[in-house]
Amino acid sequence: MTDQLAPSTSAHQRLECEGVSHGFDENRVLDAVTVGVDPGEILAIIGPSGTGKSTLLRIMAMYHAPESGTVRVADRDVWSLTEQERLSIRRRVGMVFQEANLFDASVRQNVNYGPRIRKQWRERFREMLPLTTNGSATVTEQLELVDMGGTEQRHVSSLSGGEAQRIAFARAMAYEPDFLLLDEPTSDLDPRNTAVIEDAVKAARDADIAIAFATHDMHQAERLADRVAVMIDGKLIEVGPTERVFTNPDDGRTQKFIDGELVY
Amino acid sequence: MIASFLATHGFVDPTYLFLIDFPFEREYVQSIVWVSLYVSLIAVALSTLFSLAIAMTVGFAEFRGKGFVVALINTGMGFPSVVVGLVVLFAVSNQGPLGTFNLVFTREAMIMSQFVLATPVITGVSLAAVTSVDEGVRDAAYVMGGTRIDVALVVLKDARYGIMTAILAGLGRAISEVGSVLIVGGNIVSDGTSVTRTLTTAIQLEARQGRFETAMLLGAILVVLVLVINGIVLRLGGGRV
Repeated sequence: MTDQLAPSTSAHQRLECEGVSHGFDENRVLDAVTVGVDPGEILAIIGPSGTGKSTLLRIMAMYHAPESGTVRVADRDVWSLTEQERLSIRRRVGMVFQEANLFDASVRQNVNYGPRIRKQWRERFREMLPLTTNGSATVTEQLELVDMGGTEQRHVSSLSGGEAQRIAFARAMAYEPDFLLLDEPTSDLDPRNTAVIEDAVKAARDADIAIAFATHDMHQAERLADRVAVMIDGKLIEVGPTERVFTNPDDGRTQKFIDGELVY
Repeated sequence: MIASFLATHGFVDPTYLFLIDFPFEREYVQSIVWVSLYVSLIAVALSTLFSLAIAMTVGFAEFRGKGFVVALINTGMGFPSVVVGLVVLFAVSNQGPLGTFNLVFTREAMIMSQFVLATPVITGVSLAAVTSVDEGVRDAAYVMGGTRIDVALVVLKDARYGIMTAILAGLGRAISEVGSVLIVGGNIVSDGTSVTRTLTTAIQLEARQGRFETAMLLGAILVVLVLVINGIVLRLGGGRV
């Protein structure tokens, strides 16, 4: 299945996978997946658990190379570039996982991590000195975006699960990525925390960031996404505008999944 | 008043301590303490750098024989110090590969033997600490644009309390060591100051000569030293070691 319904916006900012396969034989996780995401767009990747959504996002994040197929950013095959060139592209991507995966440090240090590692070593060492408050403006701004203002000095061990996930989102946004990948970021959260994250995702779309998020919550996909990609058994069976996929899907399995009849 | 209170309650009168007929001068004790600290701290500092590199490599790289390497490190933790001393003495002796450097009965040879003893301890405990850092934390550092060095630094920072425990354990092994430093150092004193005599070898000598009070006094100094170093490391670790 190819991503024929992708919007025709500026191709130079597009993050896309073409014919991506991963894993061999019975362990094949992804099978010739072609999908892309454009600036100012939210793409929901939906499908049952264990169907390859997380693997696809990791490959889009350049966490590892696909066994076949290409990953392109701004029309450049990222795995044909040098490590240094790929690093500069990786640094345009933000990712939030199902778990917050925060560092054992303060909220400020966590949110400031992305901006800090983009600086020269001399500047990084200087920031380690006492009384240095570099990055605090960005940190404060991002924390307010997820309704966590005033928590800079708190240690992450004092945060609830929902608060930690909101900090993880702020951390991914702090270095102003062009692409944001979210791997079921609200699956363990209560409705209040979910709403805060969803508002922040919409704000990121308004800031012209290209967003792909994996979820098995179809209501969330319907609420947030501009387009939906449906994955079953490592294959992309359908991609299209959210309303069309939910009301009139091309593939019968999509309808079964939406109706909750596809049992895994 | 305090002295009489302690004496009447069965404690040793502290003033008695000052009446001990010390067979050595204050400079002598100071030089022993200095040699102990010099040898142990340098050995542990060098070992920490080496051990952390090994722990990070073994912890995160996948290679054939990894299980064997981990077993080797764990075996090294209980390696007999006398054997280590013997091997280092051979290495620095005229017949050994380092014979040209004239290191027999020197502090450098003692540093080498303590390095060998401390390294498996620091590596083993550090390895456990770095591999216990959540894989998700490494993933997060990487996908945010971290280089391998950035990811390694995040892991080291998250494992810092375990690493400090490793350093303390290595220091404990080094500073309390007798057998190997006796063999490679020779327990030498020159002109009333220690050349290769440490607190532990001095205690051993005093005890063998029947001077138990002085041996115990040196032992107390050793214990206080270890306590102070532990306190400093504990403080640096934010009290969570």
